[in-house]
Amino acid sequence: MNAPADLRPPAADVAAIVERLTRDFAERAVTSNAIREQHGHGEGMADAALPDVVVFPHTNEEVAAIVRLCHAARIPVIAFGIGTSLEGHVAALYGGVCVDLSQMNRMLEVNAEDLDCRVQAGVTREQVNAELKGTGLFFPIDPGANATIGGMASTRASGTNAVRYGTMRENVLGLTVVTADGRVIRTGGRARKSSAGYDLTRLFVGAEGTLGIITEIQLRLYGIPEAISAAVCQFPDLKSAVDTVIVAMQVGIPVARIELLDEVQMDVCIKYSKLEGFKPAPTLFFEFHGSQAGVQEQAEMMQSIAAEHGGSAFEWATRPEDRGRLWKARHAAYYASKACYPGKQAFATDACVPISRLADCVLESKADADATGLVTPIVGHVGDGNFHLTVLFDPNSRDERAKAEELAKRVSLRAIAMGGTCTGEHGIGVHKLEALVAEHGEAVELMRAIKRALDPRNIMNPGKTVPP
Amino acid sequence: MLDDSLHAQFAAILPPAALLTSAEDTRPYECDGLTLFRERPAAVLLPESEAQVVAILKACFEARIPVVARGAGTSLSGGALPDARGVVLSLAKFRKILAIDPLTRTATVQPGVRNLAISEAAAVHGLFYAPDPSSQIACSIGGNVAENAGGVHCLKYGLTVHNVRRVRAVLITGETVEFGGDAQDSAGYDLLALINGSEGLLAVITEITVKLCAKPQQAQVALAAFADVEQAGAAVGAIIGAGIIPAGLEMMDQTATRAVEQFVHANYPLDAAAVLLVESDGTHEEVAAEMAEIKRVLAEAGATEIRVSKDEAQRELFWSGRKAAFPAVGRISPDYYCIDGTIPRAALPRMLREIALWSKEFGLTCANVFHAGDGNLHPLILFDANKPGESDKTIEFGDRILRLCIEVGGTITGEHGVGVEKLSSMCVQFTSAELERFHAIKHAFDAHELLNPGKAVPTLARCGEFGKKPVHAGQVLHPDIPRF
Repeated sequence: MNAPADLRPPAADVAAIVERLTRDFAERAVTSNAIREQHGHGEGMADAALPDVVVFPHTNEEVAAIVRLCHAARIPVIAFGIGTSLEGHVAALYGGVCVDLSQMNRMLEVNAEDLDCRVQAGVTREQVNAELKGTGLFFPIDPGANATIGGMASTRASGTNAVRYGTMRENVLGLTVVTADGRVIRTGGRARKSSAGYDLTRLFVGAEGTLGIITEIQLRLYGIPEAISAAVCQFPDLKSAVDTVIVAMQVGIPVARIELLDEVQMDVCIKYSKLEGFKPAPTLFFEFHGSQAGVQEQAEMMQSIAAEHGGSAFEWATRPEDRGRLWKARHAAYYASKACYPGKQAFATDACVPISRLADCVLESKADADATGLVTPIVGHVGDGNFHLTVLFDPNSRDERAKAEELAKRVSLRAIAMGGTCTGEHGIGVHKLEALVAEHGEAVELMRAIKRALDPRNIMNPGKTVPP
Repeated sequence: MLDDSLHAQFAAILPPAALLTSAEDTRPYECDGLTLFRERPAAVLLPESEAQVVAILKACFEARIPVVARGAGTSLSGGALPDARGVVLSLAKFRKILAIDPLTRTATVQPGVRNLAISEAAAVHGLFYAPDPSSQIACSIGGNVAENAGGVHCLKYGLTVHNVRRVRAVLITGETVEFGGDAQDSAGYDLLALINGSEGLLAVITEITVKLCAKPQQAQVALAAFADVEQAGAAVGAIIGAGIIPAGLEMMDQTATRAVEQFVHANYPLDAAAVLLVESDGTHEEVAAEMAEIKRVLAEAGATEIRVSKDEAQRELFWSGRKAAFPAVGRISPDYYCIDGTIPRAALPRMLREIALWSKEFGLTCANVFHAGDGNLHPLILFDANKPGESDKTIEFGDRILRLCIEVGGTITGEHGVGVEKLSSMCVQFTSAELERFHAIKHAFDAHELLNPGKAVPTLARCGEFGKKPVHAGQVLHPDIPRF
């Protein structure tokens, strides 16, 4: 695939499709500036690129009809959930049609006995759990933001409790997908395992809308554990905190969440979320799931490992409201960092390394970041080797922005050199195309071949995920 | 027959002992675990280094001849059935365990390493490799990846695809590629998942990094007897519905328990219509708590007897019958046909009811031995191939089971793969739009269709032919494929 100078379709073709969609979808096809602007970017870097029209379909067939029109006219199609992605996934680099799936927001079925449910792509993570209330089941994947399930599947999202429950890769059982030529296919299904045909489900999971549009998702569910408790432990230095995590993983404690906040991050979280009784020091947040006896046993083992590394006594939160406050503070970390440094812009790095290299990668990255003079609070889902530097910079200073981008690049390359990846959960989007090549080398050519095979006209979210 | 120039090329790559061409030498490779189909390859190649694999694939690509990769030959679906026009590429000499990293909990191995050998090598670190197909003493890890193999412990620990971190492979063009990585996730399209279960159609695997799990402190198994098969099926749903994910949850019906009892003397309750084996593992506290809950649910579901293993010897005895089920059934019937359909658990009682009715209708005994927790059925239809008409009846019986699997939202194969065995059933399970995507992916990797041709994914023409047959409720399969 040669680098396209500009994939922007001829203006007349765009005008024709906008007119046709307006006719077919009436008020559900929107061309106002405000709506287009809102759909031109996710979170993270605010470099917006606007679609020509935003359409709000209600059914698989409507999505297929939109894609068929775009396929015939060779117009880009960008799927949009709720706009919380961090790597520029939804930016309409070449204009085109934004398919906003937020009105496809129904839970289609809940099969309690099979521990699964089927949802439309626009259902959010919190909605799934609200609708499961009373069934004794829950959907664990929790990337922090209240993202849509379609968006989480498309970016192969993960989050704070992936260490126990896996990522979207492990928790999507099947999909309904609208293909690049506008046909509706189903992949996977309700069976727990299948060796029939290639694994299209996992191919579409994480494809960032570049191979098709996910419209329905079959999700794996879990029984709500009998007992849940959360604890916080503070450490004299970052290395002790990270080493605690490594030992815990090595011993095999089945912890549900294990989150690292460095002293800079803890400082802003204390201020932003008004946490009391904590110092701005490197900190681990834990959550344990299981039977009463199991949770107690896990917690005692963890406390003793932490103590050996100079950790403080555990602060406990067993009541749901106390736990909620704690995790809210953790999830607000990104917003807290931005709020505490008004005027700064921020983006997050997403390195993920084998657990044996975690201490090296975190400590080297921190030293590297400190040397730049930038403020870079660190949070991490460290149980699975994934951590983020929230890189804050002044958008008006060309120098700071360049420093920030250089730092991010070095963090990606460092993770790759340690046998890890440039993205544990945020995806490639437009920001990590170069890093993908560094990480996968020859295999990138196969990714291009697959992109060409499944989207020969290059209309599905063009310019993302696979470098030209 | 291998043409002379190709023979010379292979002879330059491999020592004489690693290039087999005589009928006598190639005969052992003419089939795998599915003995119904046999084919003699033009040559069998036994390379021992990746460089040799690269050179062989380049030569085959240039000459455009088919290549069938082969591990231990235990496939039950004909995945390693040779192609008469081409070569069998055996990975049997890739037998090294390259590294075990107890900190990251991974093992890097060559594809010819036996499944069980990984756990044996990891045992000193208190670790094991979780997926455990029944053939684990013999089957190779490369074959496991190619077929996305399962096993008893997959309910809790996942399938092969969940337990592989990184695969190194050679494309048909001779390029080496790495899929996945050493960290939990990897950027870009999930090519690693595509390789898992690709049945040797996309690349030849030369190195694999698998995840290892901590050996649980304790494991205990409950054996529960039921007076009714459907009730046992419902109990499976009740256990999972209670939020318990046991380490293993297996079911055997009376035909199966009686066959194995003569064979291994596991002391199964032979008057029971069905037996469930439910395993719990973890720390002592966890196992005690979970086992109490399992016993409660089993009793509520109507179990007539519940025994819990008291020690490791008894646990192994309880499992011995399950593990020996296939050979034991082989002792009581001249032939059997094993089906691998997988369904949502809630459909288990209905499926077992229908199988019992069909068994009467066809006059064929069917033993049910299966991974009940996953909904992965393994009905064994007993028949005698020498009796006129029995093979046909068996195939029709199997076909009905698979169609019902699809109807209730399941799949025609949970863990054995499609191979050559289930190509026609693929036409029932997938639409033409879906099959077209499979072909597109195959072409992205192997445009000339040289790797394991004729397996796993049926051609649209074949489905068109197959769809001409009257299907249930008058529905025509693949109406969109032009018919000639």
